[in-house]
Amino acid sequence: MSDIAKASGVVVSYRTSRGALRALDGADLAVRAGETLAVVGESGSGKSTLGMAMGRVLPAEAEHEAGRIEVDGTDVFAAGAETLRALRRDKLGFVFQNPMTALDPTMRVGRQVARAMPGRPGDGEIAAQLTRAELPDPARVMRAYPHELSGGMAQRVVIAIAIARSPRLLIADEPTASLDASIREKVMATLRRLRDESGASLLVLSHDLRLMARHADRVAVMYGGRVVEIGPSAQVLEHPAHPYTRALLAAASGSEQPGERLEPIAGTPPTLMGRCEACSFAPRCAFSRDKCSKVRPEPRKVAGREVICHFAEEVLESSKEAPQ
Amino acid sequence: MRTLLDWLARIWRTDFLSAFGLAMLGLLIFLGIFGQWLPLGDPTRIAAGPRLGAPSLAFPFGTDELGRSFLPRVVQGIRATFLLSAIAVLISACIGTVLGMAAGYFGKFTDIAVARGADILFAFPALLVGLLVAAVAGPGQFSAISVISIATLPLLIRVVRSVTLSVAGRGFVIAARVAGASWLRILAVHILPNVMGAVVVQLTYALSIGMIIESALSFLGLGVQLPDASLGSLLRQGSAYLTIAPWMVLSSGAVLSLAIMSVNLVGDAVRDMLEPLKGRALT
Amino acid sequence: MRLFLYLLPRLAAMIVTLLGVSILVFLSLRMIPGGYADILLGPFVTPAAREAISQRYGLDQPMALQYLRWLGALLQGDFGVSMVTRQPVIDEFIRRAPVTLELALIALGLALSVGLPLGVWSGIRQGGRRGVDMARLVGALGASVPDFVLGSVLIFVFSVWSLWFRVGGYVPFGQDPVGNLQTMLLPALTLSLFGIALVLRTTRDAVLRVMTEGYITAAVARGERPRDIVRLHILRNAAIPVVTVVTTYFGFLLGGAVVVEVLFSVPGFGLYIFNGLLNRDYAIVQAGVLLAATAFVAINMLADFLYAVIDPRVGASE
Repeated sequence: MSDIAKASGVVVSYRTSRGALRALDGADLAVRAGETLAVVGESGSGKSTLGMAMGRVLPAEAEHEAGRIEVDGTDVFAAGAETLRALRRDKLGFVFQNPMTALDPTMRVGRQVARAMPGRPGDGEIAAQLTRAELPDPARVMRAYPHELSGGMAQRVVIAIAIARSPRLLIADEPTASLDASIREKVMATLRRLRDESGASLLVLSHDLRLMARHADRVAVMYGGRVVEIGPSAQVLEHPAHPYTRALLAAASGSEQPGERLEPIAGTPPTLMGRCEACSFAPRCAFSRDKCSKVRPEPRKVAGREVICHFAEEVLESSKEAPQ
Repeated sequence: MRTLLDWLARIWRTDFLSAFGLAMLGLLIFLGIFGQWLPLGDPTRIAAGPRLGAPSLAFPFGTDELGRSFLPRVVQGIRATFLLSAIAVLISACIGTVLGMAAGYFGKFTDIAVARGADILFAFPALLVGLLVAAVAGPGQFSAISVISIATLPLLIRVVRSVTLSVAGRGFVIAARVAGASWLRILAVHILPNVMGAVVVQLTYALSIGMIIESALSFLGLGVQLPDASLGSLLRQGSAYLTIAPWMVLSSGAVLSLAIMSVNLVGDAVRDMLEPLKGRALT
Repeated sequence: MRLFLYLLPRLAAMIVTLLGVSILVFLSLRMIPGGYADILLGPFVTPAAREAISQRYGLDQPMALQYLRWLGALLQGDFGVSMVTRQPVIDEFIRRAPVTLELALIALGLALSVGLPLGVWSGIRQGGRRGVDMARLVGALGASVPDFVLGSVLIFVFSVWSLWFRVGGYVPFGQDPVGNLQTMLLPALTLSLFGIALVLRTTRDAVLRVMTEGYITAAVARGERPRDIVRLHILRNAAIPVVTVVTTYFGFLLGGAVVVEVLFSVPGFGLYIFNGLLNRDYAIVQAGVLLAATAFVAINMLADFLYAVIDPRVGASE
């Protein structure tokens, strides 16, 4: 299977008044053609930065320091403005966390959808596009302004815009986080269905482990600006090989409500001012040894997945003994 | 203290305009306070030099029609312009903070009354208020101060009111109210500190507006009266000899513009520090 | 319907504001030494005329009643009589209206045509750090050089080297269009500098604020052309604060740019009111302040209307 997008060794920092904060500290991630890949992690783990970096849609204060990202054969950090624009327009589709801020409040919904579509679509085509995103009463929605829609409807409009040019890679950053719990499953199902129909790849950034367990083919877990474990959802979520994944799962199974914010693990996520020369999870890790705070772990293949942990086998073993 | 020094150091490195404004403002305030004791010459001595003499080493800003050295007069003017505007703006800051907080916190009738009052004051062009006040109370410093206060009051009321509105709805204020704190305590302890930032930003703009109004009134002869001098009244004096002795208008006009600009630049810097805007690139 | 429901309370507020304005003007003129009859007639009047005025405005009656009578007279267009010319002052204001209006429109046009593009340009940071600094310098300069300083400098420069422009000597546009512009451009330029700075700063701040919005990121992520993002998404969303300051500025210009009209001897509202004050012809001052405040309030009403046209959310929740 070929990769539609591949990030390798990506380092991105944000310039702040306190210095350069590292959001990505050598992140590796390959998105395969036609798969649904979930990236999970706490806020601050770097998953949003990685997702936005796929189209180089980063804020002005973000700085790309090292590594490369290739999307459909284009090196996004080396590409010129026009190449990049064409890539974003034709190959990528973004769905944002808050649909209300992603839509222009002063422009009618129909026009915003039409502008994303190729050519000059007529009303019928715009309505059909809205219907694809499972919006009821498309004729009314077209004439509406964003503030007249509910959050769920607005997110479906954003989805309709994202898929308007049949992108190869759909990137959804917490697509359901701002929505009512009752419609999260439905919106996620719409995204899945559209992906299945189009054969595109879907990259979902989320902290909602349970939702991802149901929808993703593979799961990537991010911590401290790196992907610490990636593999098929069933394997990763049933028998994690990274202590952080394990801790996340333990926390998620304890919560009553699906999609609650993850604040499970004692200690705080790291704030990196430069390259982390150890395992960034070591201070919070139950398995931590001397080596963890001295040697930076590199990706290894363990039991059908890639893990960044010196003692992955041990973690895996204990996961199998006490299944989550 | 440390953070203040850091801030100054960073401004000097990254933001020349703000640094320039700060330095200029510092110099002008220094001149305004200590200028009268500096060896710049006697502003009142008639026939110290030639009449309407051009700038020279002895008289850097030239001399006026009575042969007085113009530089110490300008220094006098700096003092008057800053002092009058600052007093007026501080008065309107106090009144504006009280009224704005009351309107934002109590809402209902208080809010309607204050907001409407601010609208009414805002509807008068400042200089026409100046003419009206001059008609009622006669020209002079008192008129100038009241006109500046009237003109800047609505700006402060509006800002304080909107900040109070947003703060009053936040958790810690509601918690304090539930805990039974008196309204006076809530306003003073919980809301006032949050309002101060916005007041400081608005105050710098109000100060620059105040300086423009003061000098305009004095320029029209409705503000500071002889023998006192403000930068505006010096311009008025100089404009009578504009073509034969332009240095009077040029020097006092340049100093006045620099003074207002330094206040504006410092205001920008303070605002950028308190509420930075992070944009994005379009490509 | 939305527009109507949104504008109705604003119309009411506008009327309340105007009443407040009239009460303030009424009270302040009663406080002028010499009494109201003197204000309307001047000190050298016959007792008969004084009696007539006293009758008409009920000067012996309670203040509230006096105010109502005075307001009634205002509403019928009676703003008092100039004691110098013995003519109703409102006639003179109407005669001078085109002059002030022309001055205001030229200044506004200059402010918009320079301030808007510069503000947008520096807001989207197309000019880089240096461009941003330059726009900021223009903004700071324009907001800091008072109109009478700039005006004085211009008068000095152009009375030494004439260079086509003329200082003073106003002629109506209908009589001599070129001569009119020769005399009007300098005062308009003087007035416009502050407007340029105001528009520039406001536009830049508004654009910067819009640039942080999610829909701009979304538009970039969709691969829209920068030109389209500016035209379709930034300008309209940044327009409201710009409309606010532009209307306020226009209101200020209409209220008579006193200093500039005095400086350049432009026979508009400002010069008339100022001369009225010097001659103690207070009926002119009274009428001038009232008219200026009314124009200002009316223009703000126009701004409220524009907000609702620009942003569909305005008034939606009311």
